[in-house]
Amino acid sequence: MTTQPSTQQARPVAGAVPDPITVEILGNAFSSIADEMGEALVRASYSTNIKERRDCSTALFDTRGQVLCQAEHIPMHLGSFLGMIPHIMARYPVETLREGDVFIGNDAYEGGGTHLPDIVLAEPVFFDGSLVAWAMNTAHHADFVDRGHAHIYQEGLRIPPVRLYRAGELQNEVRELILLNCQVPQERLSDLRAQCAANQLGVQRIQSLCARYGAQTVIAAGDALQDYAERKMRAGISRIPDGTYRYTDRFDPYGLDLDMEVSVEIVVEGDAMRLHFDSPPQVRAGINLVYTGLLASVYFAVKSLVDPDVLPNSGLARPLTVTAPAGTVLNCRHPAAVNSRINICQRVVDIIYGALAQAIPERVTAAGNGSCVAALFSGTREDGEFWAYLETIGGGMGARHGLDGLDGVHVHLTNTSNLPAESLEQEYPLTLLRYELVDNSGGAGRQRGGMGLRRVYRVEQDCRLTISGSRHKYAPWGLAGGLPGGKGEVRFGNGAVGFKGNAGVLKAGDVVEVITPGAGGYGDPRERSVELVKEDLRAGNIDADIARAAYGLDVRAASV
Amino acid sequence: MVWRIGVDSGGTFTDVCLFNDSTGESRIWKLSSTPEDPSVGIADGVAQALAQAQADPTAVGFLGHGTTVATNALIQLRGVPTGLITTDGFRDLLEIGRQKRPHLYDTQAVKPAVLVPRALRKGVVERLRSDGSVELALDEEGLRQAARELAKAGIESLAVCFLYSYRNAEHEQRALAILREALPDTFICVSSDIAPEFREFERLSTVVVNAYLGPVMQRYIKRLYKRIKDLGVPIEPKLTQSNGGIISFDMAASMPVRTILSGPTTGVVAAQAIAGMAGYPNVITFDVGGTSSDVALLTDGHCAQANQADAGGYPIKAPMLDIHAVGAGGGSIAYIDNGGLLKVGPRSAGADPGPACYGKGNEEPTVTDANVVLGTLSAGTLLGGRLTVRKDLAEAAVQRLADRLGLGLMEAAQGIIAVATANMAKAIRVISVQRGHDPRGYALFAFGGAGPLHAARLAQELDMPRIIVPRAPGILCAMGLLLTDLRTDFMQTRILALTAAAAGVVRATFDTLQEDATRWFDEEQVPASARETALSVDMRYAGQNYELSVPVPAGGDDEALLARMVQGFEQAHQRQYGFLVPDGQVQVVTCRLAAIGKTPKIQLPALAAAQTTSDAAIVGQREVWFRETSSWAACPIYTRDALRPGHAFTGPAIVEQMDATTLVLPGMTARVDPHANLILEFQ
Repeated sequence: MTTQPSTQQARPVAGAVPDPITVEILGNAFSSIADEMGEALVRASYSTNIKERRDCSTALFDTRGQVLCQAEHIPMHLGSFLGMIPHIMARYPVETLREGDVFIGNDAYEGGGTHLPDIVLAEPVFFDGSLVAWAMNTAHHADFVDRGHAHIYQEGLRIPPVRLYRAGELQNEVRELILLNCQVPQERLSDLRAQCAANQLGVQRIQSLCARYGAQTVIAAGDALQDYAERKMRAGISRIPDGTYRYTDRFDPYGLDLDMEVSVEIVVEGDAMRLHFDSPPQVRAGINLVYTGLLASVYFAVKSLVDPDVLPNSGLARPLTVTAPAGTVLNCRHPAAVNSRINICQRVVDIIYGALAQAIPERVTAAGNGSCVAALFSGTREDGEFWAYLETIGGGMGARHGLDGLDGVHVHLTNTSNLPAESLEQEYPLTLLRYELVDNSGGAGRQRGGMGLRRVYRVEQDCRLTISGSRHKYAPWGLAGGLPGGKGEVRFGNGAVGFKGNAGVLKAGDVVEVITPGAGGYGDPRERSVELVKEDLRAGNIDADIARAAYGLDVRAASV
Repeated sequence: MVWRIGVDSGGTFTDVCLFNDSTGESRIWKLSSTPEDPSVGIADGVAQALAQAQADPTAVGFLGHGTTVATNALIQLRGVPTGLITTDGFRDLLEIGRQKRPHLYDTQAVKPAVLVPRALRKGVVERLRSDGSVELALDEEGLRQAARELAKAGIESLAVCFLYSYRNAEHEQRALAILREALPDTFICVSSDIAPEFREFERLSTVVVNAYLGPVMQRYIKRLYKRIKDLGVPIEPKLTQSNGGIISFDMAASMPVRTILSGPTTGVVAAQAIAGMAGYPNVITFDVGGTSSDVALLTDGHCAQANQADAGGYPIKAPMLDIHAVGAGGGSIAYIDNGGLLKVGPRSAGADPGPACYGKGNEEPTVTDANVVLGTLSAGTLLGGRLTVRKDLAEAAVQRLADRLGLGLMEAAQGIIAVATANMAKAIRVISVQRGHDPRGYALFAFGGAGPLHAARLAQELDMPRIIVPRAPGILCAMGLLLTDLRTDFMQTRILALTAAAAGVVRATFDTLQEDATRWFDEEQVPASARETALSVDMRYAGQNYELSVPVPAGGDDEALLARMVQGFEQAHQRQYGFLVPDGQVQVVTCRLAAIGKTPKIQLPALAAAQTTSDAAIVGQREVWFRETSSWAACPIYTRDALRPGHAFTGPAIVEQMDATTLVLPGMTARVDPHANLILEFQ
């Protein structure tokens, strides 16, 4: 069930394996190229989701569709990248590719994406007439809002890989077709322009590498770097005691009448690892996950535990076998809806950590906020123009073996920035009333879990709001005697009668308060240093009840 | 008033540069720094240098000083107990930041320490709207209450940051007045004074860092001022800032945050002056020390400016030279990671124990060891022989690495240099290619202890045609203090569409900034003839999030100003991103005014042309390994002291001087210009 490259095609033959020095130098070059593409994309883009929140990623791929390098943005986006080249190759024979072709795609089943808002652009890199690599990037377009999620056809426009540019020439019909299906077309157009420019940069940089080192050497170094990542990964896995490790958690998507069990069985054997996931049959809601998304989640989790410094290329996947029954939530089939798949991806990482806590307790974290709480506002301005604003809110990070969890951060597969209030309020009819840490939400433990966030908005115009998230019912668990962290919650100041399930209408002046989950603690709270408990109490991170009940502090005697 | 003094106080050494305005004579004095109280080393250095020059302290007309006091206090978290007052509901923003975790994959990563603990952060009711209008008035009683609580908690310093204070400073200024009255002995600063710019977290972080360091800087300056006065030096010393300019003690004491990234700036200022004199206005500076390399790009003699940077994990909004650092220097350690690749740095052996060849206990090979093995650095003659360098130890260290790599000794040594060079090249690409500048159109200006040694390989890697090595590469920072101007920057964020009406608003904003500048000029007693201002406007397409800074002229009518802004923005956008948005609405974000008080600079006299051939400067010969031929070649060794204007020779060659070694690759030419700079060129 693992994806293997489906197409082998002509490319310049890789030269002899370059020496470790050349490999290191070219490896550095690949990562600077991916970084530079990322900077260019963020800086030239328009929509707040990309320019401020950096919900985008860039990568270089080899001609077989293997990742050469992914820039350090959003690990989730690896899922979008993994499927793209095989899908392109399946449709377009290599001899039909031309310099200046730009492929666009987003479909979770045909286009290599994991949900429709992540639009991928891929451009082949030619040198001396031969295909040598691909420059790719994906950006989360905050569009396709206020849609249904019974199946993927409701979720937005499905784009298989098609040429947006053919040999450098814009395919206007394709662009028009796409833009007509978007609610904020002007923003889409500008962002797509920035995405094209970022890829162009990647193309030029790889070409100059080939000119300097020779295409064969560049390709051979790409291969060697994947072997290198594989070696590092295997070395790391070998340090984990052999055995079979299991963990089961419950997944509770916010506002939906769904509640399910997800579990993992991990078999560590020498320098390889097998992971098998069980979950219920796929559902008619936008929470399902395609296989490439599951892979991205697993790669992130294992890399973070085994060796955070392994190069983010395809070599790291080789020691891993990932399976899940087809047609289940964690390996869904067409036409399952997938829009909010990120929440279950976060749960996948939680359960991998939970299972491996038995083997490598010093590397894992207790459960983090286990979600990616998102608020999507949309409406129509006075001049009739449609607006859409997406934000994802961090929460607690699980406590570590020797360290407290971080407060108010994104965990696992996401790491997007917040939008400054001073930017938010200028661009959208929203006012941010509070943005703060949630007292008492960090699970008690020898190491305290991270605290969740509270973001309170007042809407200044009638608008729609959709909220997704998780851990509103099941608190993030602690480890080794650590207590659970706070749950997520959404409160409506004025009652917000229009809100049903996870979406609804808000009236001008309505106040909505989004509270994200905290995180679990690690170790027996009574082993926590009294000084730290007092400090938490002084800071208001915990109240006197918790100090007394969970940590056993004699609050009056402690005279804080 | 004939002597001008520049003092660069670093972590290890304090360099003093003396210059006699009437004779053109210059002198250098180096002594160990006194990290516990740097003012001791500085005063001692000045006293010793003056004594050595037999100069009268009362004849000192200028004393410029580069300090890392604020930088070190921030890195070592030795600021004072600080309180924070914010708009109610936003006191945790300092801790939340941009809600990103510090490392994407590492589950064990930690965030930088929060400078104000939660218990000392208070929200006060007040609120402005995005247009600057008042939604909630300032709760003055609440503010006083917060002040009382913070005073009770023992704060020594206090920062205030309200939303939209860059747009309307009234609430912050009112709060400042109330707090000064309530807490007369506390250092207090507000964000609209320190960084009146858009984006609340970065502004907040800046004002907090400023408050955290304020009292530290005040105490330091008081001590230093007294010591200098005690020496009999009659003038008030000046301090360098991150923008490369100098500033009065009073200003530095109220805005220490503007000095935090000043460390490497004076070298860049010196490079700017020297390269300009040599006739090369477009240079990339390359300053290599023991643990890191600093690079900066100068176009038409001007260093690119940045308005935001990260200092030890804390975002700082302050005008600064755009200097980029990378962890690759002479002491950087080479090792093989667990996947079998050769890595160099960022770990460094530093000055102690130093490279393996120093024999002080480090056995891991460093970049310096690789150079010793290759023969580019001589054993025994570093720092004019003050340091014993053992080639056998360098070889043993590199050999151990070579064995594990399956390579020969020389290939491994060359490999260490190649990887280090690639890291340095990466830093230069960040400031050049990534900002739309082609390094091939620039000369590489190499200084610092190890810059001249790596310059040729680096220039080769980047296809840069020319290298400039100044006469005294090791003390350029102290010299830069004698070549810089008084400077401070004023800015005001005004977000508006770039229409015909905007030109008037921009001009009015500049008028206000000009008033601030005039007040500052008066305070600093800058004579009218020495006053200069430079204006620039940060702009973007409406909807974008990053601004491009465009210089604009001071005079002219609104129409000309508008045309200049549009044209300048489009040029900058095209260069930086490679495209324009034909129907895009351009937006003004921030107006900036740099106020410059021109100071008389030292004049570096042209030297007499050589009376000898360059062979007269050859003091020996050494075998050096070259990658190109994979073999040893006999290289003449030139001594820098004997090289005179007009001398020229062809590589391979080595040029040695007390504080640096220059490598000239085979086929390169080297010549000495009238100011004794060494100019290397590829043929």
